Amino acid sequence: MIYPKKNRLLHGILYLYTRYILKTHFYQINFNAIETDPEKSILLVANHFSIWDGLVLYWTMHRLSDKNFHVMLLEETAKKEPMLKYGGAFSINKTSKDALQSINYAAQLLAAPQNLVLVFPQGKLYSNFVSDVHFEKGIMKIMEQAKGKFQLIYAATFIENFQHKKPTANIYLSNATNCTFEDIKAITGSYQQHYNTSRQQQTKIVL
Amino acid sequence: MIPHRRIRWVQTLARQYLLKYRIPKEFNILQYNDIELLPDHSILLLCNHFSWWDGFWAGYLANVYFHKDFYIMMQEDHLQKRMYLNYLGAFSINRHSKEVIRSLQYTAELLNNTDNLVTVFPQGELVSNHSEEINIERGIDYIVKKIKGNCQIIYYSAFIDYFESLKPSVYFHLLNCGTNRDFDYEKVKALINKHHKQALKCQVNVKH
Repeated sequence: MIYPKKNRLLHGILYLYTRYILKTHFYQINFNAIETDPEKSILLVANHFSIWDGLVLYWTMHRLSDKNFHVMLLEETAKKEPMLKYGGAFSINKTSKDALQSINYAAQLLAAPQNLVLVFPQGKLYSNFVSDVHFEKGIMKIMEQAKGKFQLIYAATFIENFQHKKPTANIYLSNATNCTFEDIKAITGSYQQHYNTSRQQQTKIVL
Repeated sequence: MIPHRRIRWVQTLARQYLLKYRIPKEFNILQYNDIELLPDHSILLLCNHFSWWDGFWAGYLANVYFHKDFYIMMQEDHLQKRMYLNYLGAFSINRHSKEVIRSLQYTAELLNNTDNLVTVFPQGELVSNHSEEINIERGIDYIVKKIKGNCQIIYYSAFIDYFESLKPSVYFHLLNCGTNRDFDYEKVKALINKHHKQALKCQVNVKH
């Protein structure tokens, strides 16, 4: 398992580089501001359809709160992009016993209120056009272990061009009203609700 | 209405620029399915309209797949802002003026020549790529009924997905809507909407 590393210089470079590529690639990054609780850490649950969504959410959360950003990545991605560990990335290998270690680590991070952990519970890349979201079980274990210590935020991202050459990313955020779930179906259902409303909003855009 | 002022050598230059440089630079994969193309038929190409790039993709397909001379119908205010497109085969329509009929007739005249392909966005406005309904404006019915020659009507739903790449990929789901001889507005409208919903489902399972 790959752990995040602290290095202010490399983190600074990564921050500037992310800002540069987002500015050159996107026309706009829109998100709705939501309230964050300073007493609690944040567990950010998002849909996964490209490499951009991690970067876009890193940028968004940086503007929304001053919490330390962490993201759970697949081990192969973390190995391919070794710089990401300086931006708070840690890895998970779904096929090995290490997976539990990564889940425990995510839960440990959530115990400290200054942390933010971004998780893509879909576990792999799906199309941006999925209508039914499928979650893997790991998210349930993280939530059980870190019970009551975190604020749960849902994010649904959609990227579209409209009248501009460059695309616009629309990020729909919402605070989950309930943080305790009986099983994985209940979490998926709760996220699905947020995803559906966000998708409806996105679909309504006509220019 | 602004008629096209296509200059063949300008269009050839633009084609080289788009196919060899611009599209490979901006996009990862452009993928389309095979459909039956009728010989000795012009093509009326209908597509979903959701981005700045739509016209360029249609031009790309006209060159690499349909092998026809490319023309495109654009909103008058949009064309006035980019008059260079006028030399590449763009002509205008103003939905709020009386000249709208003239644009439709002009489209039908272009389609009388079997070497031509005319791209029309039947929705008439930019609609989100996630939209599940495709509105086909009545003008399409008028165009098809005015065509005197043989014309094949083709529709595609294009979707953008990123997956592992930083560059977007475009997936075209092409549909053969028959010819102008057996055209029925309501039937084609229903067919296109059914195809679009199916394409949205297929997009979720697309290989990447």
